[in-house]
Amino acid sequence: MKEIIKITVALTISCLVAGSVMGGVFILTAKAKKQNEHLNMQQTMFGLLEPEPPQKSEFSTADLNLYNVYRYIIEDNDKTYLGYMVPVKQDTRTAYDLLIIDLKGKLTDQHKLDLLPEAAREEQDRGTAIANALGSQKRAKYADTMIIAKLNDKRVAYLLPGEFPGFKTFIHAMAALDADFNILGLEIMAHEEDPGLGGEIEKKYFKNQFKGKTFEKLRQLKVIKEPLPEEYRQYLERKISQEDMAGIGKKYQDADIHAITGATISSSCVTNGLKRMVKKFVYRIKILDRVISEKDIHSVI
Amino acid sequence: MPVTTKTNKQLFVNGLLNENPIFRLALSMCPAVGISTTVMNGILLGIAVLFVQVFSSCTISLIKNHIHPRIRIPTYTLTIATWVTVIDLVLAAYMPVAYKAMGIFVRLIVAFAIITMRLEVFACKNDFAPSFWDGMGMGFGFMFGMVVLGAIREILGMGTLLGYDILGFRPLLFFVLPAAGFFTVGFMMAIFNYAETLYSRRRKEEKVV
Repeated sequence: MKEIIKITVALTISCLVAGSVMGGVFILTAKAKKQNEHLNMQQTMFGLLEPEPPQKSEFSTADLNLYNVYRYIIEDNDKTYLGYMVPVKQDTRTAYDLLIIDLKGKLTDQHKLDLLPEAAREEQDRGTAIANALGSQKRAKYADTMIIAKLNDKRVAYLLPGEFPGFKTFIHAMAALDADFNILGLEIMAHEEDPGLGGEIEKKYFKNQFKGKTFEKLRQLKVIKEPLPEEYRQYLERKISQEDMAGIGKKYQDADIHAITGATISSSCVTNGLKRMVKKFVYRIKILDRVISEKDIHSVI
Repeated sequence: MPVTTKTNKQLFVNGLLNENPIFRLALSMCPAVGISTTVMNGILLGIAVLFVQVFSSCTISLIKNHIHPRIRIPTYTLTIATWVTVIDLVLAAYMPVAYKAMGIFVRLIVAFAIITMRLEVFACKNDFAPSFWDGMGMGFGFMFGMVVLGAIREILGMGTLLGYDILGFRPLLFFVLPAAGFFTVGFMMAIFNYAETLYSRRRKEEKVV
């Protein structure tokens, strides 16, 4: 009996010590970690928006304004609505409105959110503000984010962070579209595919294949099991001179996606995931835009 | 309490060759087989293991007198987990570049047999300095093993070394798959065993003469 008490006490103390060490380090590093993640995300976003050397940039990424629109799924008893948290102009500062749209695309409700721009970035703060606005009956679940890049008053690009199933687990990616929904680029942020096989999805020769595909082409994009032609590979890895770039780029403009050797499933997962992500986004943004213009909402997006 | 009689240098070489974690002790085979697809992976996981092993060994050797013998394994696991979390958080906060490359490896470590085994066999019986050197030896031994495995598999599987194209083609794609890890580990073990027999035979002959 004495033994067991001794063991319990010893184990409890060790756990407490270990826990407080971990907690202390977490508190000390949390801020820097968040900062890094934010920086990393921003770098990825600007990297996607920055055009490559041969093309002239129409804008500098520093002049762009990025607006996040958060999408929530709202459950009200048996009914499902979509909630879009949209930045709106209020006097001189930015505020946030929650637009509740039913599945047919009709605006059913509109709430003002009590949220400051700094707090809007935090998922937790957003959740609380939305829950307060909705009342206790409805439940909101965060779905995804879309980022709209504007130059002055003109939309120049959309950024879509998202995830889709890969060969093993989820692949986290970010796609960039221009104002006509053509693909500006794809970046793989995190994945757990096999190194050397599915892991090659993060290599330039794969992800650059999506670059420049039009929305029309993307809708019927296929994965083909053909070896990558050498000049195309050189082009994708950006290893050729700038004069040749345009010619080869044009030649393969409408090419389907060449699967990675030994990783056909990962290749088609990315292709289909991107397709789904973009198609859904285009559908959603069109509805959202229509609602905003019909109801005369002073949104900044 | 049996305290080691080896010098620090002997302890270090012991981990590197005589008791190499992968090739001689055959511990931590899951990462050795699963991750050693490239040299870079080997180096990164090696660094991660080195840090956790050294820190855990030192911690355990310091607190060894206070550990209740019946809960020593949970205590080791706690120690390792704490160090893994601390290293993970610190890397994420202050070295984002290194974290990007090493993050997934660091989090893998908690369940590594080699670390727990070294704590049980060595650190809980010895003082701080020998434990430190034993940890260093084991860490570098593990890294050495991973790099050798990674080099063999990378060059045979992908035709590259450290990401640089060397062969220009992929001789055997099979070698990047986990199953090939077993072949490579087995092959390297055979070499190590053979070298040991040769060595001990020569010593015997020297004694006879």
